[in-house]
Amino acid sequence: MKEKVLVLLVVLVNSLSIVAQKASEKFVFTPQWTAHAQFAGYYVAMEKGFYKQAGLDVEIVHPSVSQTAMNRLQNRESQATTLQLCQALEIVDKGVPLVNILQTSMNNGTVIISRRDKDPLKQIGARVGMWYAGFSQVAICMSRKEHLNYQWVRFTSNMDLFLKGAIDGTLAMSYNEYYQLLQMGFTFTENNVYRFSDHGYNIQEDGVYMRRDYYETHKAQAHKFAQASRKGWEWAANHPEETIDIVMKYVRANHIATNRTLQKLMLKEVLRLQIDKKTNKREFRLRPDMVKFASQMMKENQMLNQEVTYKQLIAD
Amino acid sequence: MKNPITYIRQSLSRRLSLMVVLIATIIFVAALGFLFIESRKAVRQEAMDRASEVLDNTVLRVNSLLDRVVIATDNFEWLPVRHLETPDSLLTYTRRIIECNPDLNGCSISFEPNFFKDKGRYFSAYSYNNLEKGIIETEQEGNEQYEYFYMDWYQLAKLLDYPVWTEPFADYNPEAVYTQEIIASYCKPLKDREGKYMGTISSDISLEWLSKMVSSVKPYPNSYSIMIGQSGTFFVHPDSTKLLNETIFTPTLEHPDTALTALGHAMQRGETGMRQLKFEGHDSYVFYKPLGSTGWSVAIVCPESDIFGGYNRLYNIVIGIVVVGLIVMLFVFGRIIHRELLPLHTLAQQAETIASGEFNQTLHVDKRIDEIGKLNQSFSNMQHSLVNYIEELKHTTAMKASIESELKVASDIQMGMIPRVFPPFPDRQDIDLYASMTPAKEVGGDLYDYFVQDERLYFCVGDVSGKGIPASMFMAITCNLFRMIAQQNRAPWEIATQMNTFLTRDNEQSMFVTMFIGLIDLRKGILEFCNCGHNAPILDGKFLETKDTNQPLGLWECKAFKGEVIEDIRDKQLLIYTDGLNEAENMQQERLGDERLLELMADTAHLNSEQIINKLKDAVSRHRAGAEPNDDLTLLCLSLKTL
Repeated sequence: MKEKVLVLLVVLVNSLSIVAQKASEKFVFTPQWTAHAQFAGYYVAMEKGFYKQAGLDVEIVHPSVSQTAMNRLQNRESQATTLQLCQALEIVDKGVPLVNILQTSMNNGTVIISRRDKDPLKQIGARVGMWYAGFSQVAICMSRKEHLNYQWVRFTSNMDLFLKGAIDGTLAMSYNEYYQLLQMGFTFTENNVYRFSDHGYNIQEDGVYMRRDYYETHKAQAHKFAQASRKGWEWAANHPEETIDIVMKYVRANHIATNRTLQKLMLKEVLRLQIDKKTNKREFRLRPDMVKFASQMMKENQMLNQEVTYKQLIAD
Repeated sequence: MKNPITYIRQSLSRRLSLMVVLIATIIFVAALGFLFIESRKAVRQEAMDRASEVLDNTVLRVNSLLDRVVIATDNFEWLPVRHLETPDSLLTYTRRIIECNPDLNGCSISFEPNFFKDKGRYFSAYSYNNLEKGIIETEQEGNEQYEYFYMDWYQLAKLLDYPVWTEPFADYNPEAVYTQEIIASYCKPLKDREGKYMGTISSDISLEWLSKMVSSVKPYPNSYSIMIGQSGTFFVHPDSTKLLNETIFTPTLEHPDTALTALGHAMQRGETGMRQLKFEGHDSYVFYKPLGSTGWSVAIVCPESDIFGGYNRLYNIVIGIVVVGLIVMLFVFGRIIHRELLPLHTLAQQAETIASGEFNQTLHVDKRIDEIGKLNQSFSNMQHSLVNYIEELKHTTAMKASIESELKVASDIQMGMIPRVFPPFPDRQDIDLYASMTPAKEVGGDLYDYFVQDERLYFCVGDVSGKGIPASMFMAITCNLFRMIAQQNRAPWEIATQMNTFLTRDNEQSMFVTMFIGLIDLRKGILEFCNCGHNAPILDGKFLETKDTNQPLGLWECKAFKGEVIEDIRDKQLLIYTDGLNEAENMQQERLGDERLLELMADTAHLNSEQIINKLKDAVSRHRAGAEPNDDLTLLCLSLKTL
């Protein structure tokens, strides 16, 4: 009898502790960049209560200089983060297994913009800006392949080096820096923009990743988070104006220097990049061919020690 | 509802006043248009001068601050080169720079990665004013979280290889707290004695003072100042939500605006100028000027409503006054002209009354001496003349009626003097005679007569000279004379001689009568005749040739008229007529003529005398074609039948 009571007590205590643990467990999500429409779907899921409806207590924490998204994920400070595919491959290659729980981008949004009315691919040896935070793997691989011999200049977060003529060209995201430059009065011509997606480098970018060890013990949560986030993106695609209202709320809270017009354009472009060119649908899936192509390309350029496979990235 | 054009046309006063106002409007529009265009130019020029002056002063003051920063930085530039062996001393120097230059917010002397072997990867000596504590803080700011050599302020000087001002930026706090303070840095590349790049010296200033100074520039009540960086980003703007968040080009992203884009590019290029465009929803004049070598540009935005506020107010008031004035003018002129023309109106009414038959209508007495007064007077005179004339006319008409009545009686008497019963001799089958006399007026001077006495047919046709009453009276005498003398069984030439003797006596009026006198022996058909200056009769379709010509009766004495004899005229038609037949005229004064007469008389053998005369009368009527008869028309046709 005593044993039975003891067993019951142990079961009860264990159950209570699990309930208590689950109730208090926060799901911290970190987008890889400052607050803007690039992450509209997650803000929508948060604000429209999609996470809450899924039984998740999600907190969105943006990265800082000292706490990048990758750092936060590696340090287990965030349970999920958005990463570009190439970034994810690098992290996995460095020994931190990751799982892609939701792929939002179906197309590559990176571009090279030349300061003059000149094809970036014809400016051999030019000084070209790249983000201090990364995101430049595809560009580096391409420049090597094309023997462009670019002098890469890392910039922090704005286009001042480019505008003042300190660099000849710059990497830019078609949804962000491209519109920033347009807003700065920069004149785009037929020649001065090189879109990777149009030249055989249409490698997927943003997806939601979590550490595989966390995923293994929290599959249900991961699945719920992915589903709610996807719902958020679909809602954003159907309600762009209300989505921008939500984005601007996050933008203001994070003191981001931007404006509604810019965010509107960014959302439109991000949503465009989510549509698969072949199926013309928002598919939310990682493509095995893309993983293989990116992995091989990075391996060839010594960015990876070994190829990372599609299987290594996907959930069971 | 009256048609407005009809309404205007009906009244001279309305038309006149409208014309006056129209002309006045044209003059006003031309004069005021010129005045306003010139005034607007002057106001615009004055505004440009004023705004340019204010802008120049502002830029001058800002530039003096920027120059101080440049000079301060340049003055300390030599220090790092001298003290490379003791990098920590640079911390003190940066502090000293801040102490010596109250304009500066911060100063850093930063070096390339791993420049000092014992300092590791990072060395950036940095001092800044800690406003909260009120002290100057000094530190080495480089670390893994703040890799300064990737910052714009560092790289700009390095890559451009010349001193440069950064774009203003929000001050960044390592604790991830963003402040609203906007700062800008003047950065200069540091080089060693060989000219090799070592690092960057940078001096920071807060744009707070500059922002306040630029913002305070307000040449007009609703004007405002803006400052943009080389990126077009607003660093000074009255709407603080735009600061750092928007650029001058932002509105063009969704709604392309070439004017705004051109302004932005001009400011980015460091140009000085003025542009007129719709700026932030208002028609404005934007005056812009660059700030030294910073790449920044300051602009004063002056809403057009401000610049032209006074002008527009004046414009509206003047236009209002003119419009009201013209309306008043229209009304007043209408009244004045109406009043001035009132006598005309009265006159028109009186004329209508007079026209309706009231000739004795009393006219309004107008003492005016102008044209209207004269018209009134003339009209009054005309009325009197008209009344007199009407009276005369009445009298004349009455007289005429009386004369006409008398003439009618005279006509009846005259017509009673000639035989008018046909057939004239109903019991005689051998005589076919028909005659007709149609006076041109009420009474005429033609005559005919016939009678049978002792188996002899006497007949005559005459035409008294002249027309009307005198001729008719002469005709009456002639008629009576013929019958009286002929009844004495005399030959036609004897009758003529006697008649002439009688008629020439006391003929003071020298009237005369042409006459054809004939006598037919009814048993033998012998025709005796005497033609006293009369038209030749037509016998059997031909003019009757006479050997001797006699004078008309009554002209002068003649002892013996001559006559002729035709042995037998039985079964031949004899037509005797007056010149009212062959000389009948139409509207064009064309006579019927002898030829036409002969044509008419041809083929008339089957017609009796009445039919022939009717045929001739019809021909005359057709020839006249409505023209008034120019002479009396008398016809006598006879034929003696063989039984």
